[in-house]
Amino acid sequence: MAVAVQYYLLLSAAVFCIGLFGILTRQNALLFLMSVELMLNAANINLVAFSWYWGNLTGQVFALFTMALAAAEVAVGIGIILVLYRNFDDVDVTKATTMRW
Amino acid sequence: MAGITDIAPAIALLPLASFVIALFFGSRMPKGGALAGITATGGSLLLSLWAFLAVGNAGYSNQRIIWVLGKGTFDLHFGILLDPLSTLMLVIVSLISFLVHIFSLGYMNDEGETGLPRYYAGLGLFTFSMLSFVFADNLLMAFMFFELVGLCSYLLIGFWFREQGPPSAAKKAFLVTRFGDYFFLVGVVGVFATFKTASFVGEESFPHLAELALGGNAPAQVSTLFGMSPQTWFAVLGLLVLGGVLGKSAQFPLHTWLPDAMEGPTPVSALIHAATMVAAGVYLVARMYGFYAQLPTVLAIIALIGGFTALFAATMGMVKREIKQVLAYSTISQYGYMMLGLGAGGYVAAVFHLMTHAFFKALLFLGAGSVIIAMHHNEDMWDMGGLKEKMPVTYWTFLAGSLALAGIFPFAGFWSKDEVLYDALVHGLNSPLILLGYLMGLVAVLFTGFYTFRMVFLTFHGEPRTETAEDPHPVRWNVKFPLVVLGVLATVAGFVNMTPLNVEYLHNWLELSPQGAFELLSVGHYESLLAVEPAALGPIVPALVSLALALVGAGLAWRLYAVPEPEEHTDRLGSAKTLLYNNYYQDEYQVWLAEGVTLPVARYADKFDQGVIDGVVDGTSQVSLSLGGRVRQVQTGVVTNYAALLTLGFVVLLVVIGLTGGWF
Repeated sequence: MAVAVQYYLLLSAAVFCIGLFGILTRQNALLFLMSVELMLNAANINLVAFSWYWGNLTGQVFALFTMALAAAEVAVGIGIILVLYRNFDDVDVTKATTMRW
Repeated sequence: MAGITDIAPAIALLPLASFVIALFFGSRMPKGGALAGITATGGSLLLSLWAFLAVGNAGYSNQRIIWVLGKGTFDLHFGILLDPLSTLMLVIVSLISFLVHIFSLGYMNDEGETGLPRYYAGLGLFTFSMLSFVFADNLLMAFMFFELVGLCSYLLIGFWFREQGPPSAAKKAFLVTRFGDYFFLVGVVGVFATFKTASFVGEESFPHLAELALGGNAPAQVSTLFGMSPQTWFAVLGLLVLGGVLGKSAQFPLHTWLPDAMEGPTPVSALIHAATMVAAGVYLVARMYGFYAQLPTVLAIIALIGGFTALFAATMGMVKREIKQVLAYSTISQYGYMMLGLGAGGYVAAVFHLMTHAFFKALLFLGAGSVIIAMHHNEDMWDMGGLKEKMPVTYWTFLAGSLALAGIFPFAGFWSKDEVLYDALVHGLNSPLILLGYLMGLVAVLFTGFYTFRMVFLTFHGEPRTETAEDPHPVRWNVKFPLVVLGVLATVAGFVNMTPLNVEYLHNWLELSPQGAFELLSVGHYESLLAVEPAALGPIVPALVSLALALVGAGLAWRLYAVPEPEEHTDRLGSAKTLLYNNYYQDEYQVWLAEGVTLPVARYADKFDQGVIDGVVDGTSQVSLSLGGRVRQVQTGVVTNYAALLTLGFVVLLVVIGLTGGWF
């Protein structure tokens, strides 16, 4: 007895909202990265769930792509965070506002 | 062997070379660059004579270099036109310039002037500009060199720039002629817009195209502007170009610069007044006479201005104290005669007078220069007197020039002035405006005779009135030689066209066997274009009338001033004296025009520009600047805010799409 697809969607929505909450409330850049990762994985759950629902493998292939993309994004994100730390001695994103207007 | 057409550019380029040499190496050369100038102008003179003879033998020539290639429109070109008129003028200009260079050795070098390289460079550039102007074959090229001539006159009039007067006189000369040239420039553009060419010569020349257009079968390329008829529009163009002519040739009301220009060195005055700057205006009208000849209204205006200027300037010349001032007003007056001749349809007469005037006016100025050397640079005639015995060469040549200027038989001026007046009379009998010009010109003859001989008697006759006049500074060969050459020319130059005696070499020369399209430049063609028919009238009686008037004027001067101790008779003129001394308040009203009218208008225009035009531009940038300043506050630099905005925006978008898409 397989789990109905709407539960997957609910799970995905929950994970996405947790990620969004993290982005909107956290100040630590590392937590930002994790939150973004959560949101991406929520999307992955959706892709896989629909793929399974429709019996079509395209969604799963896209999920693989997304994971690769997420890995790349993390690499860049970590790089930015390192520079941030080097310049501001901190990974607090609210401090890096000197480059605005 | 190279023909004259191949080396014709050298006529003008030689003085240009002397300009460069004098400017850069003059200080290291003996005589401060004078020798380079003399060599160059002498070479130009020889080449001009060659060109003159070549035109007599082989006919006209015209060659062009295109320097701006038009894409789908007209080209601009430089060109050299050698025809009887231009070669005659080339000879005159290079001859006068050559003699002026020699005279300058006496006037500048021997007097120990400084800045000689600058002086000779100026003379070289001046000669170059004028020669190039003379052989220009299109209006644009003529305009360019017309402007260069104006620049050179500025440089030379202001030669003694450390003194008070010359810089201001130079500025005035430049500005007043520039004012006229402004109209000329508009005219040049108008000619291009109308005819798509500005060439003087050939089937495609603008005078010929105008002729076709007025004849009813307008060529396709001719288009009048502002919806005027060809007749009206061409008259407007003619008047615009005439603006430049009035400025350069010092015709009323733009004559005021010329008397002030006497601040420059005397040889420069001779060059300006006899051969270059002032002659340029009249020459321009003669050059494009095929155009003017078709416009009776413009011709009548030219004749009227000319006659009026001749009279007007002659009256002012009668009361002046300085010898050069008298000559300055006589120059204005004589150019008035030329304009009268051109306006009346006497093309040959005007060119003839241009030629004889070049000789005798250069002679008179150089003679005055000689007197000024002798008088240790005192120009006041009332300090002179009795110079006749002390400087015989100057006296006799000056006398020849004066007789020519006054128009006394048989000197050069008599023949040419008489022909101008005769042409004005015979055409004037059929045209009241020209007749009015003639009458003014005729009265001016009387005044001319008077002021000329007043000058002669005051300068050379009677008892010396000062110590300098008793013991004048001697002059050397380099002063006497040009005087003698010009004295001979002023005496005999008139014989080339003695119309009353049916000797018409000059007329035949200007009529010279034209071939093909060059026929459009011949006197015969010009005469066929004139609207006013000459009346049948013998030339003898008018000649006698003007001669009698000149003699009366001269005789009056003899009565009043040829006494051992002459007195000033100006007080007898009453209130006219003040008027004449102040030159009819011409300067005053022009200054008033500048200060009372132009300046406030310019101020208002400036205010409008600063306030309204700039205000709109500044306002626009101010608004966008302050808006930008507010909007950029959105960029806080905090990533969280961006994310919140993104999310909010997405939610709003969803709601909107939902509402419009009917999800709820």
